Amino acid sequence: MTSVRARTGEWVLLTYRLPREPSTPRSAVWRKLKKLGVAQISDGLVALPAGARTREQLEWVAEEVADAGGTAAIWLARPTTRAQEDQLALTMAAARAAEYQVLIAAATVVASTGADAGARVGAARRLRNELRAIQRRDYFPPADRDQAEAAVQAVADLPRQLLARPRRRGVQPARPASKSATWPVQETP
Amino acid sequence: MKWVTRERIHIDRAACAWLIRRYVDRDAEFMFVSDPAEVPDEATAFDISGARLSHHGGDCSFETILRHFDLDDPVLWRIAAIVHEADLDDQRYDAPEAAGMDLLLRGLSLTLSDEEILQLTGPVFDGIYEYCRRSLLLGREPS
Repeated sequence: MTSVRARTGEWVLLTYRLPREPSTPRSAVWRKLKKLGVAQISDGLVALPAGARTREQLEWVAEEVADAGGTAAIWLARPTTRAQEDQLALTMAAARAAEYQVLIAAATVVASTGADAGARVGAARRLRNELRAIQRRDYFPPADRDQAEAAVQAVADLPRQLLARPRRRGVQPARPASKSATWPVQETP
Repeated sequence: MKWVTRERIHIDRAACAWLIRRYVDRDAEFMFVSDPAEVPDEATAFDISGARLSHHGGDCSFETILRHFDLDDPVLWRIAAIVHEADLDDQRYDAPEAAGMDLLLRGLSLTLSDEEILQLTGPVFDGIYEYCRRSLLLGREPS
């Protein structure tokens, strides 16, 4: 990118406190935050790039925290320096990159095993679901994103390659004997 | 009656508005606010922080409204599954249509106002209702 950002972007922050015990709501909240792909700034403070959807998602988590006897608040904020924002974005991109790499490894295993076509179709479906889940929380796409897409697509393409056998001559569609029989003759200028 | 929800609506609020107009209040008037404090006293709030008709116990607002008004039509619960997954994507229901609905509403939110989205999605949900109704009656896909 050559363009220089004039100012930093807006972020939605969730501050929250939950009692240590019981631990079930604590881990439920953490699981949700993980699924949203938040950047954890410090204990009880997480961030996402601001948008209608990210804000809403954090609002529901805040409500869940309150329901579980904790306290939570939602804030809109702007990092004061670009370096601060870049650090957040880098952290988030690195977290997604690690997830894509796990997916790529899983896809490679499937591609290299001798599973039958049906099993590979099933594996491709599972990998695609997982890919989509990661992509939904990928706000600063790393290069691994494209690699993961390619790795999963390769698994999806495998069964077709296995099934694609040379066609018997008899079933090939008949071709017109000569071009001029089917196609209008082009007028010469 | 006046009904209020958060502005910049997505699937849950669009579906709730349709549900309210069809099954709860034919003359429903909808308002959109950015802060729960802006909800007028005489209005009923839905899908907004702190409201009774909102997310509760893992339910999305559409499900909460179905429970609150004892709407036990299985067709509406099938639509609830789609709305829930499009909104929360927590795999509580098997609703592969959810991804498409999510895309549709996210796209509309970029090009239309909240009022326009409600105008447009009303007939969409009518169609979905009819499709789900026939599916349930036939036990297979109707078209």
